[in-house]
Amino acid sequence: MGKQSNAQKLFLALVFIILYAPIFFLIFYSFNSNGTMSSFESFTWEHYAAVFDDTRLIMIVLNTVIVALLSALISTAIGVLGALAIVYLKNRKLRNTLLSLNNVLIVSPDVIIGASFLILFTAVGVRLGFASVLISHIAFSVPIVVLMVLPKLLEMSDSLIDAARDLGASGRDVLTRVIIPYIKPGIFAGFFLALTYSLDDFAVTFFVTGNGFSTLSVEIYSMARAGISLTINALSGLIFIVTIGLVLVYYALNRRNRTPVTGVKK
Amino acid sequence: MTQQPIIRFDNVSKRYNDDTTVLSNISFEMERGKFYTLLGPSGCGKTTILRLIAGFIEPSSGEIQFNGKKINEVPPNERQVNTVFQDYALFPHLNVFENVAFGLRIKKIKQAEVKRRVEEALRFVNLQGYENREISEMSGGQRQRVAIARAIVNDPEIILLDEPLSALDLKLRTEMQYELRELQQRLGKTFIFVTHDQEEALAMSDEIFVMNAGEIVQSGTPIDIYDEPINRFVADFIGESNIVDGVMIRDHLVRFAGKEFECVDAGLDTNEKIEVVIRPEDLEITSPERGKLIVTVDTQLFRGVHYELSTYDRDGNEWLVHSTRKAQVGDEIGLDFDPEAIHVMRLNESEEDFDRRLESYEVPDHAE
Ligand SMILES: Nc1ncnc2c1ncn2[C@@H]1O[C@H](COP(=O)(O)OP(=O)(O)OP(=O)(O)O)[C@@H](O)[C@H]1O
Ligand SMILES: [Mg+2]
Repeated sequence: MGKQSNAQKLFLALVFIILYAPIFFLIFYSFNSNGTMSSFESFTWEHYAAVFDDTRLIMIVLNTVIVALLSALISTAIGVLGALAIVYLKNRKLRNTLLSLNNVLIVSPDVIIGASFLILFTAVGVRLGFASVLISHIAFSVPIVVLMVLPKLLEMSDSLIDAARDLGASGRDVLTRVIIPYIKPGIFAGFFLALTYSLDDFAVTFFVTGNGFSTLSVEIYSMARAGISLTINALSGLIFIVTIGLVLVYYALNRRNRTPVTGVKK
Repeated sequence: MTQQPIIRFDNVSKRYNDDTTVLSNISFEMERGKFYTLLGPSGCGKTTILRLIAGFIEPSSGEIQFNGKKINEVPPNERQVNTVFQDYALFPHLNVFENVAFGLRIKKIKQAEVKRRVEEALRFVNLQGYENREISEMSGGQRQRVAIARAIVNDPEIILLDEPLSALDLKLRTEMQYELRELQQRLGKTFIFVTHDQEEALAMSDEIFVMNAGEIVQSGTPIDIYDEPINRFVADFIGESNIVDGVMIRDHLVRFAGKEFECVDAGLDTNEKIEVVIRPEDLEITSPERGKLIVTVDTQLFRGVHYELSTYDRDGNEWLVHSTRKAQVGDEIGLDFDPEAIHVMRLNESEEDFDRRLESYEVPDHAE
């Protein structure tokens, strides 16, 4: 099947080139001393220096990271509890309703979530800014965490819980010593997904931010509208590298969690 | 002085959703240090009894006693009972050592003692040296032994085993039967073992409870149950048997297959309709002239240790024969048997009446 597999490889390569080309294009010109994206003059770090000189931009990066970390942490906690509630709910109807509500939130467009949060915050009188962004990020992250944790919980055999109880575990022991360790990969996946969703969210944040509080995606949007500046390119390059770093960390953690299969069967 | 039973069921029933009765009015006692087996077809309620003893479910009515104390509502983590689950239920995120240590860690026992006891338990089940293995790296038989070690390390009064051998192949299973039985005798603990394999039950138990449809049909030693099944269900379920209708002429004389035979059973009504059981291995092949029954060989199978013959008498009753001697298919042969080989079963006799009747004519026999 050599020929076919070559064609497949070519296709895959093409797809990845198309997907990654704009990013590399952007990063390439971030080193351009010319200041435009049309002709490359000579190599420079000047745009990167500009990023680090801009304290406002640094603050925004920090804001973004803090919102992402906090919302990921909080939504992971809420999401895990929610998934537990859904699984161990005796009432079938209530359980299915909760599950459907969760799925609706995942498929509903960000614009609608953002707009409805804006209406809610103004109606209740929450000042737009850090708190409103954090709350809305938690809100759209919780269903994602639930979705990542639920399959792990469903896959877990009830007899594991029986076994733990049988060995003297209290309800709390069962949770901390059996259930949580068992669903840990799901929790990690949920946390990282929530983190990335929060980091690159634009639509929801765009609606609910205000009073000088801004996150990276919103800031880049307004910078891009103001006109081309290669600072954006430099910033994008940095974000890209951080993202790759995060992906690597995620894989490393995932690998450590999985039990090694050394196959001793004869 | 009689020893206090370690487990007592007093008219225990279990219903789900108030309409499906899974156990109906079960009463029994179990003595300390014995190997008990619950034997019965799928769905008869064996696991339900174990779950009641372990405390995962509560009886709908009746009383369960442990060492004379009512334990109906005691949660599983406060009972001195440990279970070996059918699917082993080992914790996949912990290695062998930590799986076995789980119960001790909960009790906050010091590391040095945990280490000592876990190693001892693993030695008991022949798994020393496997402490750091992951569960995914263990074979089926090894996992089962980890599950047993995890139960015995807590030093419980009772160990419950729910069909622990059913996933193993025949050879390993036979090996594990010996090991389990030996382990129970070394530990001196009460084992309650569930199986639907009658050979397993006969080989391992001090006492067997034969169950059917949520009731205990008969309990007794393997020999009692094999030799003196209370009814057609037990006779059929435990080993292979020939069961034919008959009439009790008087004490020690029974009529079936068109003839009268001397037997050892007594205490029944004159001319009472009964069923007769004769085990295939109690039938001996002879010439037609000398046989008590005359039958025609229909089929013959070689079973390794013996031949299994399916034969029919002139009334059309089938007689299964286990014999080391070969016969010819289509031949007419005679079947011989001792009076002791005949076991008479009353229709619909309760276990109490059955036991009383057996005692009435067996006791003098033993006294001689
Ligand atoms: N939670 C439950 N709700 C309703 N019915 C149940 C429940 N658990 C068990 N049953 C029913 O109780 C009956 C006895 O079940 P049990 O598990 O005790 O059978 P068993 O003798 O262990 O069978 P097997 O040999 O197949 O394991 C079955 O008919 C089963 O359908
Ligand atoms: Mg069962």
